[in-house]
Amino acid sequence: MFKFAPYVLKTLTRHRARTLLTVSGAAVSVFVYCFVLAVQEGLARLTTQDDSVLVVFQANKFCPATSHLPQDYEHAISKMPGVREVVPIQVFTNNCRASLDVVVFYGTHAEQVRKVRDFELVSGSWDEFESNQDTAIVGQALVERRSRKLGQELSVGRKLTIGDVTVTIAGIYTSENRAEEDYIYCHLDFLQRTRGTDLVGTVTQHEVFLDASADPQQVASALDLKFKSGQVQTDTRTKGVFQASSLQDLIQLIDLMRYLGFACLGLMTVLLATTTVMGVEDRIREHAVLQTIGVTGARVFRLVLSECVLVSFFGGLAGVLIAVVVLATSSLSVGAEAVSIAFAPSTSMATTGVLVSALIGIAAGIAPAWRAAQADIVNALRYAG
Amino acid sequence: MALIDVQKVVKQFRKGPETITPLQETDLQVEKGEFVSLMGASGSGKTTLLNLIAGIDRCTAGRIVVNGTDITTLSRSKLAQWRASNIGYIFQTHNLVPVLTAYENVELPLLLLPISRSERQKRVEIALRAVDLVDRANHYPRQLSGGQEQRVGIARAIVADPTVVVADEPTGSLDAETAEQILQLIIQLNSDLGTTLLLVTHDPDVAASAGRQLKLVHGKLVDDRRAQPTVSMRQEAM
Repeated sequence: MFKFAPYVLKTLTRHRARTLLTVSGAAVSVFVYCFVLAVQEGLARLTTQDDSVLVVFQANKFCPATSHLPQDYEHAISKMPGVREVVPIQVFTNNCRASLDVVVFYGTHAEQVRKVRDFELVSGSWDEFESNQDTAIVGQALVERRSRKLGQELSVGRKLTIGDVTVTIAGIYTSENRAEEDYIYCHLDFLQRTRGTDLVGTVTQHEVFLDASADPQQVASALDLKFKSGQVQTDTRTKGVFQASSLQDLIQLIDLMRYLGFACLGLMTVLLATTTVMGVEDRIREHAVLQTIGVTGARVFRLVLSECVLVSFFGGLAGVLIAVVVLATSSLSVGAEAVSIAFAPSTSMATTGVLVSALIGIAAGIAPAWRAAQADIVNALRYAG
Repeated sequence: MALIDVQKVVKQFRKGPETITPLQETDLQVEKGEFVSLMGASGSGKTTLLNLIAGIDRCTAGRIVVNGTDITTLSRSKLAQWRASNIGYIFQTHNLVPVLTAYENVELPLLLLPISRSERQKRVEIALRAVDLVDRANHYPRQLSGGQEQRVGIARAIVADPTVVVADEPTGSLDAETAEQILQLIIQLNSDLGTTLLLVTHDPDVAASAGRQLKLVHGKLVDDRRAQPTVSMRQEAM
C-alpha cells in the first residue's frame, strides 16, 4: 500500500500553487467550522452546568439591573432542607444589551469566592483580596482582553475602572470554566455602596449550592413557594437553565451559526472535489499508462482518493491549528445579561475538526477517483492529451 | 503450444450508428522468443490486435491465450494483475510519469509484484544498464532527451521480465538517428535476452528488422513472412 506513497506525495507537488490554494481553502473552512464549534461548546458549557447549583432571581425580572432581592433571604434559604451554602451576589454590568463586550462585576462575600469557585490565582493573593474592601480578583481572559483594549498591561495593584466602578486588582485568576475568566469578583458591600446607598441590603441574585442528595427541582419549587408571599417574589432555576434563559437570543443566533459551519464544510467539499477532478482530467493518460503496466482500477481509485484525503487532512490540520492558536490567545467572548460565553479551544473541537477534514477528503474524492479507475485504457491512451 | 495463441478474434465497436470492425476473425500464433512486426495502414487493426494481446482491450469474440492463460476470461482486476507480470508495453510517446525520476519510473511495474526492496533495486539497475542510462537514474523526464525518455520507457517495459513485450510505434515520434538507436536496442533485447517482441509499425524498414513480419489489411492478416533482418541492422545490433 505504501509503496506508492512517493508517487502520491510527488503528485501533490506537481501543481504546487493549485495544491497550496486548495489546502488554504480547506484550512479557512475548517478554521471557521472550529470557531463555530468553539462557540457552541462555550454555550453548552454554560447551559448544561451542574444541576446542584440554583440561581434565585427576582420573579418577572430578566435583567440584572432590575432584580433586587433582599440580602437577608440568604439566611432563610440557608435553613431550607437540601441547601449546603448560599452566596448572595450583587451584579453590575457596564452595559445592558448595548454591546456584546460586557464586563460583569460580581459583588459577593470575599471569603466565599475561594470556597465555591475553582479559581487559581496566577498572580496576587487571596489575603489581599479578602482584607481590602475596594479590591477585586479579575479573570485572566478579561485581563488579556482589557489590556489589549486599553493598550496597557493590567496587573495586580493597578486600578481598573469600568463605568462608575473602580477597583484595585488584588489577584488574577484562571478557572477550569473558561467563561468564569470573564468576570470581576469584588466585595458585596463595596459594590452595593459604591453605586449609591439604594442597593444596600439588596442583591441581584442568590446562588444556592445543594447537597448531593437534594432534588434541585424540589428545592427550587419549595424556595419560590416560601417567598411567594414574601417581600419580593423569586424565580429559582438551575444555573444552566438560568443562563440559557438569559442568553435566549444569543442561543438562537448561535444555532444559526451552525449552518454557517456546515456551509463552510460544503464549500470545502466542492473545492476539493473540483481540484481532484482537475487533477484527474490532467492525468487521464497517466492513469491509463499506470493501468497498462498492471496497476488495477482499485489501486488507481485508492491513489486518487489518497491525494484528496491528504490535501483535505493537511488543510484541516492547518485550520484546526490556526483556530486553536487564535482562540487560545485572543480570549474571545460575548456576553449578555451578566452571562458570558467564552470561546476556548478544546480537544474535542480539534479532534472533530481533523476527523471532519479527513471525512470530507473521502467524500470529495470518491467521484473523481471512481472516474479515474473506470476510464477506458485504450481511449485514454489514444485521445487524452 | 505457441506462447501467444490468437483464435478467431473479432473486435467491433459502435461509432454513432455505424459498427466498426477493426479485426475480423483473426488468427495468430507467436512462439517464445520471436520478434514479430505488425504492419498495416492506419485503421488496419494492428494496434487493436496489439492491445488485445497486451490485455488492455477486450475482444468481441474469439480467444486469446498467452502463456497458457486465456486472458479473454479474466476480470478487469485479474487482467491488470496478469499484465503486471506478463506484459511490458513500449508506447509511441514515452508516457513516463513526469513527477518521478527515471529510476522511479522504471521501478513502477515492480511495485506491483511481491518482491523485496533490494531485489527491486537490483532489477532497476540491470534494466537501466541495459538501456545505458544508469547515469541518468535520478533525472526527471523533463531533464531527458526524447531518445533517453524512450529508453527509460523500454527499461520500464523489460524490468519485470515479462512474458511478452509489445511496442506500439516505438520510433514513431523520434528523429531518424534516435529512432535507429532505439530500434537497435529493441533488436538487442530480442537477440540477447530472448524477449518475445511484438512491434507495431507503419515503417517497412522498421518492420524488416523483425524476424517475422505480418501485414494486416482491413482487420485481416494477409501476409505472414519469416525473413532475416537486414544485414546492416543485425551487424549493428551485435
